[in-house]
Amino acid sequence: MLNSHFTLTKRQLGLLAIIGGGVALVGILLFDELGLSDPQGGFGPSQKIGMALAALMLLVGISLLPLGDTPA
Amino acid sequence: MQTMFSGQWGRWQQVFVGLALILVVLHFFIYVYYSFSLMQFPFDYDQGEGFELNDTLYLSEGKSPYRNNETWPFYASNYPPIYHVVLIPFVWIFGPEYWYGRLVAFLSTLVTAGTIGFAVYRDGGRRREIAALMGFAFLASNYIYHIGPLFRQHYFMVMFEVLAVVTLANALERPQQRQRLRLGMGLLLIAGYTKQLAAYTCAAVFLWLFIRNPRRSIVYSLGLGAAAGLIFLILNIITEGQWYTNIVAANVNQFIMSQFTGLLKQYVRLHWPILLLAGLLTVYELYFARLSIYAVWFVVATISTIGAGKWGAGDSYFATSLAAACILAGIFISRTLNQTWVFPENYLSRPFLNMTFSPGLKQSLGMLCLILMIIYGVTVVKMPTSGAVFEPISQALGFEPAPGHRYPLYDAAGWTPGYATIGHLTSQEDEDSGWKIVDRIRASDLPVLSEEAGFSLQAEREVISNPTQLLNLYENDLFDPKNLIAVIESQGFGLIIFRAQFYPEPVLSAIYDAYIPQEVIPMNGFNYELWIPASDWETRRDIRDYLNKNPAEALEVAIPAEIEDHRSWMFSMMDRWGWTPVIALEAAPSTECESREFIRLAQRIEIRLCGDKLIFQP
Repeated sequence: MLNSHFTLTKRQLGLLAIIGGGVALVGILLFDELGLSDPQGGFGPSQKIGMALAALMLLVGISLLPLGDTPA
Repeated sequence: MQTMFSGQWGRWQQVFVGLALILVVLHFFIYVYYSFSLMQFPFDYDQGEGFELNDTLYLSEGKSPYRNNETWPFYASNYPPIYHVVLIPFVWIFGPEYWYGRLVAFLSTLVTAGTIGFAVYRDGGRRREIAALMGFAFLASNYIYHIGPLFRQHYFMVMFEVLAVVTLANALERPQQRQRLRLGMGLLLIAGYTKQLAAYTCAAVFLWLFIRNPRRSIVYSLGLGAAAGLIFLILNIITEGQWYTNIVAANVNQFIMSQFTGLLKQYVRLHWPILLLAGLLTVYELYFARLSIYAVWFVVATISTIGAGKWGAGDSYFATSLAAACILAGIFISRTLNQTWVFPENYLSRPFLNMTFSPGLKQSLGMLCLILMIIYGVTVVKMPTSGAVFEPISQALGFEPAPGHRYPLYDAAGWTPGYATIGHLTSQEDEDSGWKIVDRIRASDLPVLSEEAGFSLQAEREVISNPTQLLNLYENDLFDPKNLIAVIESQGFGLIIFRAQFYPEPVLSAIYDAYIPQEVIPMNGFNYELWIPASDWETRRDIRDYLNKNPAEALEVAIPAEIEDHRSWMFSMMDRWGWTPVIALEAAPSTECESREFIRLAQRIEIRLCGDKLIFQP
């Protein structure tokens, strides 16, 4: 991976997007469950936007997997 | 042009390109007229310009503008120095003036537009007319028009961001790869030290580099991070920590979701044709080609616009996303007109690969792109509605300011929190009013506290305080206003000039106690309030301090001779400090003294008004 000619493939990019989106999704939910978010604001618009972006990233990641070894 | 626009379709495309170009060039003429008109205005056109000039003055004298806000003159800058450093030679030659800061900011938007055009030409299929169209389209945006020629550094930063990204875009395919990468990194460093917001472009660049080659991304991000960190450390040591306080900590402001969503809706409503084309190219690159730096930058810059919801932020936060969108949209249009789209076989393209598209359909897609650009040219309409040139034009077109709008300006953008509805021409009355305020400053023997630095600079007086900076620091528990309040309470300022009363609450409270409003001077759509020392403050101060001590013993004070209505003076003073009069159920016995009781939380006090004396009895 640290080779000077290595480049990410669409599949690897998809995997990274799935991991990133998944971690963000779980993180936002955990953040709220553990009561770390604004106690008065609850699950507000910021979290909803974050969730939507994370879910989109996850879906894009999944859709990239079938593209295989094509350079990203 | 001949080969590019051949046949009947070609002629129609020529007409549509011509129409789109005419529209954006007309916008450009309005922009140039407004910019040169603004350069002649000698005061703050928009809040904050004078402070940028003051930062430049500090640096031109070899002084640091990153200072302790708690000591005289209670002033510090909250922006990095590159823009101000570039302006230093102008200060040495011309003294403190607004025009050169505005000129440099205006020129930086032209350089940005030129670079966008260059990128579209180089990376989109060498179509000069589309390159020009997208450069002018960037300048036609309402967001660029109204802020572009202000004495502010934001678009100076955008210029370096665009130069960096366009330099890096094909760096990996060039023989002089290292030199180009280093140059790009250098430009990013300069962008970051022009304004902190460039950090998002740095993130986009390293994400793109990571996709292309993780090794290079790690090496160059470590290199840039080390250089930026070292400069940061040196500046922080030199300024004894004030660099971090004023540049980083002071910029952590309250996030207002409605401001962000309002601006986002406005951004999409005004720029949707460009955003649509940019989005399509991004999706194409994601599934059918390699991701370009422009696509990654567009996505990251658009996500970063969430920062526009911060208190004090605004529509300028969308400029980077718009610049990226203009490049992508230009490449999309060029490829569509050149018919150079390639769809490699994959699970998404397979159903369409065996289909044949008629040349007419392909050509009409190019026409559709051009129609979108014409729609964009009509959507972003804005112009001043005053002056010898624009008054008759706006009347003929039926353009007039929105109801309740403070300026002679038609702006299709409308208004949403965070959007500055400026872009109008100033009048001779505005200038005369500004000089009237300057004369009032000159007439004062004592220093003057002004919410705008411009008046003090024109009067050749020291600029004292930067109200929004003090407010930001105060909100973050980083500013103790006691020293500034002490000067106010000792009436150390001969005059206080308010525009929006942005000072922290305790500072405003001290001013309301020790000063009284004397005159209101309207200028450039705002009412400037001039407050002078209150003659009865010494007496009221003794009373306030006595009441705050929760006293056990009585106090007798003489009412100042200039007070005519003793009773209303007493009531308004007690009301100001939160004391409520107790309603008397029985008529007071007729004596020569009037007695009233007041309460504040658990405190109770009786006040007897005897002629020109007030006697406080706990």
